[in-house]
Amino acid sequence: MPSAPDTEKTRAPEPPGSAPVVSVRGLRHSYGRGPDAVTALGPLSLEIPAGEFLVLVGPSGCGKSTLLRLIAGFEHAAEGSVEVFGERPEPGGRAGIVFQQPRLFPWRTVGDNIGLALAYAGVPRSERPERVAGLLDRVGLAGTAGRRVWQISGGQQQRVAIARALAGGKRLLLLDEPFAALDALTRERLQEDLRTMSAETGTTAVFVTHSVDEAVFLGSRAIVLTNRPGTVALDLPIGLPRTGAGPDELRGLPAYAALRAEIGTAVREAAG
Amino acid sequence: MPPSPPLRERTAGPAAPPDAVPPDPPVADAGRQRPERAALLRRIGLRVLALAVLLGLWQTVTALQLWSPVLVPSPAAVWQALLETSGTHDGVRGYQGHTLVEHLGISLRRILIGAGAGVAAGLVLGVLMGTLPWVRVVLEPAVAFLRTLPPLAYFSLLIIWFGIDEAPKLWLLAIAAMPPVAVATASAVASAPTALVEAARAIGARRRQVVTSVVLPSALPEILVGVRLAFGIAYSSVVAAETVNGLPGIGGLIRDAQRYNQSDTVVLGLFAIGVSGLLIDAALRLLSDRLAPWRGHT
Repeated sequence: MPSAPDTEKTRAPEPPGSAPVVSVRGLRHSYGRGPDAVTALGPLSLEIPAGEFLVLVGPSGCGKSTLLRLIAGFEHAAEGSVEVFGERPEPGGRAGIVFQQPRLFPWRTVGDNIGLALAYAGVPRSERPERVAGLLDRVGLAGTAGRRVWQISGGQQQRVAIARALAGGKRLLLLDEPFAALDALTRERLQEDLRTMSAETGTTAVFVTHSVDEAVFLGSRAIVLTNRPGTVALDLPIGLPRTGAGPDELRGLPAYAALRAEIGTAVREAAG
Repeated sequence: MPPSPPLRERTAGPAAPPDAVPPDPPVADAGRQRPERAALLRRIGLRVLALAVLLGLWQTVTALQLWSPVLVPSPAAVWQALLETSGTHDGVRGYQGHTLVEHLGISLRRILIGAGAGVAAGLVLGVLMGTLPWVRVVLEPAVAFLRTLPPLAYFSLLIIWFGIDEAPKLWLLAIAAMPPVAVATASAVASAPTALVEAARAIGARRRQVVTSVVLPSALPEILVGVRLAFGIAYSSVVAAETVNGLPGIGGLIRDAQRYNQSDTVVLGLFAIGVSGLLIDAALRLLSDRLAPWRGHT
């Protein structure tokens, strides 16, 4: 059953004490079988409450992307359970996904890429143009609906990918190193915009990165995973202000530097 | 005939149209445009020159009378044949009652219907082969087998089955056109980019929607190459299809003129097939650039 066609408008964060959006219990995941099997992840348990912006940090190969794919429902756990909104996750379910590459459909215009996601989410045809315009506006790309995908820059493509992931009123965003392939300047602008957007809408997010700075800047909580098999090395709330402070101001806070140092140390230790 | 000649060879004749340039990104680079245009003009000039040299050689050889004009007709004789087959002379209309354009038109119609049906069948088979592995296992040898057969070989069987009217001709063209499309479609559909398939699943596409929204569009450029190849093969098979009861028809015209040693008319028929074939290939290429403008942007 398609999820209820919520609007993409700002929604109030769910009241505290409600069920977690994502809950992972006793998770263990491995590739291969028998004696050749490689345990990639686990044992691992965590809960992500509504409105949280969780950043998964860790060295390459620690299984952070695997964890994200398990939450997305692309893979299913060998052991333990993953629940999203209380259900076993399936791709196209209640989470929107942003990959490292934009993965837009080149045979569709920018607007039609988002329109397709709306169609699959059950939004009636007549409402789609307006919703597409609203989503593009939200990612700072108003007026580009008619453009061809290859006519816009890599950063703009990733913005479209975010809009597509949000389409259909998704309340959970899963992002797998979405800014890793962008140049530094573009990356900073997208980080700022994503931070603002998540603060404004209260969308729950799981964001995978190997950049400590990105983790501190974006997250309301950071989890550092150890090297394979990935387990939780550090689970840290990031108490930086979510609104009101500009990016430079934020980076200038003493707490920012302290968090960076703490997470950075944990990542280095995890990498072994 | 070798099974499916590569596309390059088919279109690389001296009169082949310049390669259609894929639509450039809108970032116009004025500095680069001028040398490109000059290169294009030079290439066209070179081709015209080559054509003129060939015509001159041909004229010289016939003027020297090295061979009898029955064997090697002069350019003038072929031109005369063109005039005679294009109008009414001495109460005779065109060649055997039909003008050259009419003969060509009838053959083109056969190609359009026959190869069109073959292309459609190839598309369906290709999609099935590309999406269902067991269909591929079952059908692949049959398609490959059909692909290696020269059309003239199975034409005999088609005549026994369907008589000597239109049916066997259309069947021959359909059977000749089907395999390249089926093979191209099957391979393109089977190799749909997993990254985009995953992206479609991530926005909630079901199995069939993944096929329509990702697999088929991503396969389209390759399918269109298969279609071009199919029409090329159908084109080169039209003379085979018209070996029996082929008049009116351009292949029938060539066969009939051969019986009377009218080499000028035979050469004229060859030119008619060659030139119209190049035009159709250019049109198909233009069409595929229109239908799949994202080619090269994935």
